[in-house]
Amino acid sequence: MIHDLFTTILADLFNPYSLFLALTGVVLGLVFGALPGVSSTMALAVMLPFTYGMETPAAMTLMLAVFFSSVYAGSVSAILLNIPGTPGAMITLLDGHSMARKGKAAEAMAYALIASIFGGIIGWVILVLLAPVIANYALKFGSAEYAAVVFFGLALVAYASSGDTLRGLAAGAIGLIVGLVGRDKITDVPRFTFGTADLQGGIDIIPLAIGLFGIAEVLSLLTRSDDDASQVPESPARTWPKWTALRQEFPTALRGSVIGTFVGAIPAAGSAIAVALAYACEKRLSKKPETFGTGIPRGIVAPEAANNACVGGALIPMMTLGIPGDSITAVLIGVLLLHGLRPGPGLFENQPDLIITIYGALFVAILLTALVAGAIGIPVYRKILAIPQRLLTAGVLILCLLGAFSVRNAAIDVWVAIFFGAVGFSFIRLNIPVLPLAFGAVLGPLLEENLRRTLLIHRDISVFFDRPISCVLIMVSLAILVLPALFSLISKLRTVRQKTSSGV
Amino acid sequence: MKLIKTLAFAAMLNALPTHGMAQSFPEGPITWVVNWPAGGGQDTTSRLVAERLSGVLGVPIVVENYDGAGGLTGMRELAGADADGYTIGMLGSSSVIQQYTTDEPVMMDQLEVLSFFGPDPGALTVGADTPYKTLDEYIAAVKEAPGDVPNGNDPPGGASYISAAIMESALGLELNKVPYGGYAPTVTALLGGEVESATVPVPQVLEHAAAGDVRILGVMAGSRHFLAPEIPTFADQGYEVFAGDFRAVVAPAGLPEDVAKILSDALVEVLSSEEFVAAANAAGYMIEPLGAEAASARISAFDEQVYPVLQEAGLVTNPK
Repeated sequence: MIHDLFTTILADLFNPYSLFLALTGVVLGLVFGALPGVSSTMALAVMLPFTYGMETPAAMTLMLAVFFSSVYAGSVSAILLNIPGTPGAMITLLDGHSMARKGKAAEAMAYALIASIFGGIIGWVILVLLAPVIANYALKFGSAEYAAVVFFGLALVAYASSGDTLRGLAAGAIGLIVGLVGRDKITDVPRFTFGTADLQGGIDIIPLAIGLFGIAEVLSLLTRSDDDASQVPESPARTWPKWTALRQEFPTALRGSVIGTFVGAIPAAGSAIAVALAYACEKRLSKKPETFGTGIPRGIVAPEAANNACVGGALIPMMTLGIPGDSITAVLIGVLLLHGLRPGPGLFENQPDLIITIYGALFVAILLTALVAGAIGIPVYRKILAIPQRLLTAGVLILCLLGAFSVRNAAIDVWVAIFFGAVGFSFIRLNIPVLPLAFGAVLGPLLEENLRRTLLIHRDISVFFDRPISCVLIMVSLAILVLPALFSLISKLRTVRQKTSSGV
Repeated sequence: MKLIKTLAFAAMLNALPTHGMAQSFPEGPITWVVNWPAGGGQDTTSRLVAERLSGVLGVPIVVENYDGAGGLTGMRELAGADADGYTIGMLGSSSVIQQYTTDEPVMMDQLEVLSFFGPDPGALTVGADTPYKTLDEYIAAVKEAPGDVPNGNDPPGGASYISAAIMESALGLELNKVPYGGYAPTVTALLGGEVESATVPVPQVLEHAAAGDVRILGVMAGSRHFLAPEIPTFADQGYEVFAGDFRAVVAPAGLPEDVAKILSDALVEVLSSEEFVAAANAAGYMIEPLGAEAASARISAFDEQVYPVLQEAGLVTNPK
């Protein structure tokens, strides 16, 4: 019986039509994801009308292919242009673009691809084997745990961001304030909208990131007098890293993948938290944390493995509970609804063939992404660097503005992007890191909403310490924030004491 | 070859409506504004209709999602579009409410109603781990500890918040209304036990009720829900509570009469077709195909029902 089921499903997945759809999806995802400002959610929303007339398995095959490959491709613009194609790629640019500047763009993309595929497969395996178990744990994540994990994420970003801690904290605080703009999530009252209706929807993270990273990058390129010096050098043809080098990154990829899958499985946690966690975890474990951000493979492998493992993780609540974990799986649930299927806990019992088809389709999507991106994607993406700097800069600027507009079809988002372009540019000049600002704007509203909701329900702040998960997370966060300062204080005291004692 | 082309042209001419000046409408693609992101209820229902409306009108219908400001961004886009019939969109109950609760809202007189889509009645659902087995038990427990029982719902002004407020006002209850950003997180919180009850529409909780994870204690409608005929309404149990969401198709106000009629007739044709109703029902949506006038009457009736509730809840910042 099970054998029959598998043969039919294999026949379903590996027929020319399905493979053609998966291939189409992968190619489109590789294009959409690499464009600055086109998020995976948008890529899926664009593809949605094409699934109307398809059978459900075909529709899911196409959508999952777009989903997975666009999540990977977000790293491409991060590495080549210093602009994250998707929010999940915001960390990748730290080491990815630094590596590209050293003339190793193709190698950076190869690391990103290998880590993405690895993360995708680990996420897939955990999805297939453990989905129901993890889903039950994910449900235990109430507002208190959620607030704690966001707090943890913020602590990690503060820890992971390089440079002056004080400047990093200041940038993070500005990000938190930016996150306050728009309607209050709890009372629905507009805040910091300056009386305009346009800001009631808040500051969307994508135009913000486009401005902070993309437009700021364009501005700083324009201000450099020497055109050639600012050009990211073309990358040599040999693109694949050596096996021995890859093997060293294996533990990193594994840790990143596991973090990505679990964070992805928590409804609404999202890849931004997962990549921050994975990166900070590696930096903490590394013997040379100061090398992070200078263009090392580990700084690409960790976030990319986590980012793509999130795909499998995000499908866990959708498959087991029928709950969309994020805006991307919400579109997938929309596809199922349009095909007359109501996803819910009964899906496993009532539609086992659909479940297995979805698992199979995701696996095919991962394999095809590896093949297409490896064989065609990276060589083509590499050509972007051959474009003369002044043309590239103009093209990027146009893409940035279009991308900002298309997120919500709103003109205000273009102004938001331009404004944060100016902010990002002045930050670069003032030597203030921009990453904490972006993460503050993403995580701040989540922290505020969940903190206030927790207090609305439990009416007492002690709840954060009564619940084990949130208690542990808060303790660890405080340790991360306080201990380094404490240690440096102790070592300073010691040197002072040694000096005084030796002086005597 | 030439013959085929001629025949095809003749067939096309025959297919065009031949009455009045609107025989040229529609000539090109129509934009369908959805004021929520892709994949949600407003989006799914819109796409179900748009796909088939395109077949009836013979032009492409492009669904565009305008996310933001609790749906207001999309309504603003719709109300601000040219009133030529080439921009239409889906209206939900929250847009009626926002007239009174938001700064710079879109007023209903800026929109022209084309057809009703259907109601999406609210329901009271409790978690399987809560002690409430019946509606009576729940009401008694809430009355005993006013303001203590956490109920998951939208932020103030959203449909499931208003359902909770209507229930509170009709039954003299006081809940701890805990806001979540949409139905999915509300249901997650109910399943995880963070809230004891939720006032989201029936389709959102039906599969979880079938799995035994939640109990639906009552439906806030005049008749039972077609997907769950075994669940009694509030009225069946002696409580007069009618609340929930609804959907209607609208255009910017000032549409030429004949264009409005073409759109309205085409919508009613789609909404009445058996194939459409089967597809919408399978996705969990109740269909009630009503033309422009009947739909406007339904929306006005909702307006009159909800305004006093909003006043009582202290939500009115923009009085009538």
